[in-house]
Amino acid sequence: MMNTRTGSGIPGDPRVGRLISIATAGAAENMATDQAILDSVTQSGVPVLRFYQWGEPTLSLGYFQRVAARSCHAHSDGIRCVRRTTGGGAIVHDRELTYSVSMPVPAGQAGPRSVLYQQTHQAIAEALACFGVHAVPFRLTGVDPRPETQNSQFLCFQRRTAEDLIVSGYKVLGSAQRKSRTAVLQHGSLLLTTSRHAPQLPGISDLLSVQLTADALIPKIVGVLSEKLGVDWKEDNLSIGEKRHALQISSDRFDASHWTSRR
Amino acid sequence: MSRDESKLLYAESHEWVDLVEEDGKTVGTIGLSGFALEQLNDLVYMELPELGRELTVGEEFGEVESVKAVSPLYSPVSGKVIAVHEELPENLEKLNDDPYEFGWIVKVEISEANTVESLLDHAAYQKQCAEAG
Repeated sequence: MMNTRTGSGIPGDPRVGRLISIATAGAAENMATDQAILDSVTQSGVPVLRFYQWGEPTLSLGYFQRVAARSCHAHSDGIRCVRRTTGGGAIVHDRELTYSVSMPVPAGQAGPRSVLYQQTHQAIAEALACFGVHAVPFRLTGVDPRPETQNSQFLCFQRRTAEDLIVSGYKVLGSAQRKSRTAVLQHGSLLLTTSRHAPQLPGISDLLSVQLTADALIPKIVGVLSEKLGVDWKEDNLSIGEKRHALQISSDRFDASHWTSRR
Repeated sequence: MSRDESKLLYAESHEWVDLVEEDGKTVGTIGLSGFALEQLNDLVYMELPELGRELTVGEEFGEVESVKAVSPLYSPVSGKVIAVHEELPENLEKLNDDPYEFGWIVKVEISEANTVESLLDHAAYQKQCAEAG
């Protein structure tokens, strides 16, 4: 579980966060950068928010998923595959906007940071509303939730948890978390347009005939997320140390076949 | 008879340990507290360490997933893993009902260098949980 001490030893001000500019990168680099940021926030206590996209269509497996389960989804067969450190089901990252937010955790907290799922997804729902998109959390749709233990479909976007955002009956935003001793990483995917590698999962543009771009969405999300989390996001870049750390993590883990096929 | 949670020691990170003398050695049985399990909600996966692994205090020895969140488990003691609860990952739904008996995760033969100074007794741990709300 996690160390519950906060305050002493965490010099950063959790009310001022770092906003890292959007970047497009490969699967291993994207996942390694998120992990390097989590490690950084664990040390500094300073929140970090970033947005990214994927250099090529990629299937990411949830941390505990078996790589052999790929055989049940033929549409994503043959595309690059990476194993995340976060939970949940597999995601086809293609025509989406991906975000990650890493936050220090409050004292004594154990288990998932449900409030972070809620605040982040509310912020994205409010940002979408600016473009005429009505997205609601699954818990408000009136559909009975499945017990977590039965929420086992291969693809994340075919599963449903309370804070998943739903548009016209389809899930368009799902997120997952990884905890460290004193911080939590949450990253998630917002489906903008249907991918040919997951044609059963419509994106928002296909559902509502609205054109959404990352450039238009990001400032709206950042603004609302600042209010929800009480964090003033200041534009920043990854430090040299973080980039080096990410390279090492990428080489040791996300770019290594033993990591992807560990289950 | 279920293990008496008031007699256990606790890490701030919510693992409990039951220290027992067996054949001149001290064996620590480790699990997750009922408070932590309540906060975790439904666990869906658990990864256990290998037999024989040497652990030090505070080292990650396993991982759990609940509500799409993966959380490490931290060892409250130093020593060698001499038993793992192999049935547990397939029966996680039973954990919340019996965290202190069925819910044991590993047994560790405590090393001579081990210290329990950083661990909390039941009263201190209850206080921590109350403050955490």
